[in-house]
Amino acid sequence: MSIIVNLDVMMAKRKMSLNALSDKVGLTLSNLSILKTGKAKAIRFTTLEAICEVLECQPGDILEYSKDK
Amino acid sequence: MEFKITTNQILKVLQFLSWIIFIGLCIEAGAIAINTFISLFISPNGINYFWEGSDYLSSLYDYDYGHFLAITLTMTIVAVLKALMFYFILKLFLDKKLNIFKPFSLDLRRFILNLSYFALVIGLFSYFGFKYSLWLTKQGFEKADLQILHIAGADVWLFMAVILFVIVQIVKRGIEIQNENELTI
Repeated sequence: MSIIVNLDVMMAKRKMSLNALSDKVGLTLSNLSILKTGKAKAIRFTTLEAICEVLECQPGDILEYSKDK
Repeated sequence: MEFKITTNQILKVLQFLSWIIFIGLCIEAGAIAINTFISLFISPNGINYFWEGSDYLSSLYDYDYGHFLAITLTMTIVAVLKALMFYFILKLFLDKKLNIFKPFSLDLRRFILNLSYFALVIGLFSYFGFKYSLWLTKQGFEKADLQILHIAGADVWLFMAVILFVIVQIVKRGIEIQNENELTI
């Protein structure tokens, strides 16, 4: 897919573990893992808002568009 | 006082009805197959056990052995396929492959597709039986009552096959939407 999820990059920048993010955002580890590995088909605005609030970033820091080769 | 009928209750009633219909169809299929076998290979008196159809079939047996074989074989195939259809419906209930919370699955798609094929084949054989008896009437033999011979309603079976095939396409799309929904975070 041409949308890349840079959640792991932001988590590394904020030095936050997946468990900590899961607790703060209120998402299950498996759902966060699906998002992190890029297997997700869609993301809700509420989820994006919660992640941005916890990681103190913009949606553009988490999502990136890259043209398929 | 208000009664609320849940999906599970409806499914239980349907399962119960499916058992009754399945047992009935098994008896019918078995009886037709055994009576045909007895009539052909053991004693022609076996025709008398074909319930209401015995009059027509005994006349047919006396008229021509081959025609009798063609009609009874069609009756047997249709009865066995109907019983098999209900066997698959019961199997779906007993294997618990019907999940109300995630209703669209590959198992359900395969099940409906199989039912569609069964309905198509039953329709084709019933149509063959109808055309064959019509041809026999044109040859001067008495008119058959297809309802009594259990090979009536070919058009209904063919219509059902088409509808089930359309439902298969809807289930296919449902599986895609359900998977997409599961992967929405």
